[in-house]
Amino acid sequence: MVTNQDLLALLPFILLGAGALTMMLSEVFLTSGRRAYQSGLAVLVAVAAAAAAVVAPERSLFAGQAVSDGFSSFVTVVACGGLALSVLVGRGWLERRGIERGEYYALALFATSGMVLLGMASDLLVAFIAIEVMSLAVYALAAYPRRGQRPAEAAFKYFIIGSFASAAFLYGASLVYGATGTTLFSGIARGGGGGLLTAGLALVLVGLAFKVAAVPFHAWTPDVYEGAPTPVTAFMAAGVKAAAFAILVRGFLAMVSGTGVVGGAQIGGALGILAILSMVVGNLFALPQRNVKRMLAYSSIAHAGYLLVGVVSAGTREGRQAGISAVLIYLAAYAATVVGAFAVVAALERTAASPDVDPAKAWDIARFAGLAKSRPALALAMAVFMLSLAGVPPTAGFVAKLSIFRAAVAAQQYGLAVIGVLTSVLGAYYYLRVVVAMYMQPAEAGEESETAPVTVSVAVALAVVAVVALGIGPESIAGLARAAAQRL
Amino acid sequence: MAILLNVVLFLPLFGALAAVLLPRGEAAQHKSWALLVSLVTFFLSLGLWFNFETGRTAAEFQFETHLPWIASLGIGYHVGLDGVALLLVMLTTALGPIVILSAWNEVQERVKEFFIAILFLETAMIGTFAALDLVLFYVFYEAILVPMYLLIGVWGSENRVYATVKFFVYTFAASVLMLVAILYVYFHDGGTFDYVAARQSLQVTPAVAVWLFAAFAVAFAVKVPMFPVHTWLPDAHTEAPTAGSVILAGVLLKMGTFGFFRYALPLFPEAALHYRGLIGALAVVGIIYGALMSFVQTDMKRLVAYSSVSHLGFVMLGMMAITAEGLTGSVYQMLNHGVSTGGLFLLVGMLKERRHTRLIADYGGLARQVPWIATIFVVVTLSSIGLPGTNGFVGEFLILSGTWLSRMKAPGWYAALGATGVILGAVYMLSLVQRVFFGKLENPENRHLQDLTLREAFVMVPIVVLIGVMGLGPNPFLQTARPAVDRLLARMQSAEQHLRQQDPSLREMVGTEGPALALARPPAVPALPSPAEGSR
Repeated sequence: MVTNQDLLALLPFILLGAGALTMMLSEVFLTSGRRAYQSGLAVLVAVAAAAAAVVAPERSLFAGQAVSDGFSSFVTVVACGGLALSVLVGRGWLERRGIERGEYYALALFATSGMVLLGMASDLLVAFIAIEVMSLAVYALAAYPRRGQRPAEAAFKYFIIGSFASAAFLYGASLVYGATGTTLFSGIARGGGGGLLTAGLALVLVGLAFKVAAVPFHAWTPDVYEGAPTPVTAFMAAGVKAAAFAILVRGFLAMVSGTGVVGGAQIGGALGILAILSMVVGNLFALPQRNVKRMLAYSSIAHAGYLLVGVVSAGTREGRQAGISAVLIYLAAYAATVVGAFAVVAALERTAASPDVDPAKAWDIARFAGLAKSRPALALAMAVFMLSLAGVPPTAGFVAKLSIFRAAVAAQQYGLAVIGVLTSVLGAYYYLRVVVAMYMQPAEAGEESETAPVTVSVAVALAVVAVVALGIGPESIAGLARAAAQRL
Repeated sequence: MAILLNVVLFLPLFGALAAVLLPRGEAAQHKSWALLVSLVTFFLSLGLWFNFETGRTAAEFQFETHLPWIASLGIGYHVGLDGVALLLVMLTTALGPIVILSAWNEVQERVKEFFIAILFLETAMIGTFAALDLVLFYVFYEAILVPMYLLIGVWGSENRVYATVKFFVYTFAASVLMLVAILYVYFHDGGTFDYVAARQSLQVTPAVAVWLFAAFAVAFAVKVPMFPVHTWLPDAHTEAPTAGSVILAGVLLKMGTFGFFRYALPLFPEAALHYRGLIGALAVVGIIYGALMSFVQTDMKRLVAYSSVSHLGFVMLGMMAITAEGLTGSVYQMLNHGVSTGGLFLLVGMLKERRHTRLIADYGGLARQVPWIATIFVVVTLSSIGLPGTNGFVGEFLILSGTWLSRMKAPGWYAALGATGVILGAVYMLSLVQRVFFGKLENPENRHLQDLTLREAFVMVPIVVLIGVMGLGPNPFLQTARPAVDRLLARMQSAEQHLRQQDPSLREMVGTEGPALALARPPAVPALPSPAEGSR
């Protein structure tokens, strides 16, 4: 029986779905070509869904297959925030290229509804459905401009690898079902089934590792991030990452918290190895990149590593609370920062005469040279984002890293903490290179600069405010994250 | 009065934020605004100086403010000053207007950003000394990197990008491990980042304490900088604009030595005793190595930079002596170095502004052309080499006698080798003076140089006055530092006591063997009776 309270708990999901459908219908019937309302509506829906998530009642839904709690609310707010900001970026970016359509926003809203559901899922099948809702929409978004080689290539790669990950996840889920007779996380926690359960859980984790782009399941990330339209990349880095980590945390905690579970410690150890590999490889490969978009793609792998440190810490008794809240804080901080950074990249991107022209040079670090002179506000914003990604105080990135390493030390994972801080020094080096280019190098000769579209500027400004506010006064977010962690 | 410290701390930051609103084109407005803000900050900080109590009943930390900041992570906004922190805050606020005035004509490009960066930097520096919460300290300590990075990288000379990236990566890399150590402390002191509480209740095994001390010590040693992790310093100093060099030498390096004094030693006193010989030896190597390197430099700024390595070696040597004289001298030498080396960089900057070169060979025989600059240069040089009557003498004398009297192994060797640094210092500094100001004026470009302008006089007079006052009447400064020094000494003594209870064969390590100098005796703080005395 679905009660009013259940509907209230599902309201964010319903709002996003309804918003997406409205968008598609309006695109059919309103053919005036004036599309300003679409981005406005999408932002409005995102804000409404986030607000609904904040007031959503705590309850178990669909006979325990999903749950609405502080954790899901937090993930919903992060996903909706990422959606709102990347819609703003998308509006300006698409309009410049004359390819703005209602479908773009509809797909983004559908994807976000999948993320919201993923944050709530406490059952492997619901999780699978949510992953597919999210992923199918994002595949389409990656190929959205249709013309041009790179988006098509990116979308194709993403689709093939994503299907493979989904298949692994689904196969794992079926093995788990065979072993335990249930797909509920609570059933997994009860354990039983021996090797079959272990194999199933391992496959589920492999599927999720693809989604969060942890090394060695990361190979798709640089190409897809680079090839996808920049606003979509921002959306992927903020939203998809948050949702994938949400389900990873929930599933992993079920695996390690159960009484009869096989090898909870081994699963934690395996994730620890993924974390180390991601931090080291992500940072090392980002180091030589001259293409800023690609550098941010590799850095997103490294950040997945830091997030995994939080997940591993959450798997221990001492680090559980600290780990969960650290992952949430990190997701919020990273989402704000990375959307902002990609927004700046989008603002600098040349509008190519033809989409077949390879825009790779548009993301070269040389585009950033002398930016502090020609566009001081944009350069300052990018500098703030880079410092936040590097984890320098007083930015959101520092608070996020602090809470992640705090969780690692609480869980007595000293090795992870030390490798984490040392690899973050590598990060400082390549993030600083962007600052060096902007502030300390002269601009390229004959470089005409287009002014950024208004909505992109708004998105950048909002992201800067969020990053600095989170860095200076993070108590509100940290308090929410802690409350969410206590209930989970 | 607690509010006053907060005002002094954040006034420069708000000044910087207000400067954002001033129009970009009006360079004069930015200069005047920054000067005004820094002057007001300095005069307000005088209130701290006059209200600080050094009596027997005075609290350890004064002007304290304690508020929750990120409560759910256990981080508080806790600031307060002890005597040493107060002296360093005063040094910072006093150098503020001097630095701004010195940059008046040197900075021509992006004037607005330059002065915003300087004001931002001032808040971060004061915050580093005032913080009493480990994370708050770390935040200020790291926040300094960004404006300094920009100061060197944007307004520096030819090789600035290399120098600034090296500076940033060196100090950032060294301090991240300190963050892990801070987090470890958090989970072993009952769950607080508060420094005062952590110092009280920290429970770690000696083996772990050795690692934690190492993590703190590496971070601070790079900042000091100690041999062999000093290599970022000559590059950063040489490439930085004058204002950057002065701030770097005057205040930033003190954050390393202050870190040892405030954090590494009191938190892990037993581990500090464990590493004492090594750090002392590195300090001596730094003294001699820095002096020898100074001697062979052809670039004035680089010469002064290497002399910093030598001088900071003295500070570290005095600290590792762990005697009242050594610690007091160490604190005093921090101030001296800020004044005299800051002064030297200012003077070198003035010469460079006139001749656009830092090479010593391009100068010679300037004393006739610029008699006032030459006079002041000689005065500051004499202070730097520790001539009696100048401030440098007081610091170096205390450090060397404190080392000689200390209970380190072979203290005589440390003191004797350290003392060679004084002689070498005289050699390289006087030879610099001779090559720049005396001898024949051969380069025709040096024939018509302007002497000290009124603005430059305003910059240099405070420095010269401080050199004289601190040289002839050091007592107010020593008295201010004394309670903090005595407390640290008592803490080290109780650690020694603890070690000797476990292993009675250990000899005494803290304090002096014979009768000490009158300067630092008797203990000013009866509230903390030294355990070593009680046991006798």
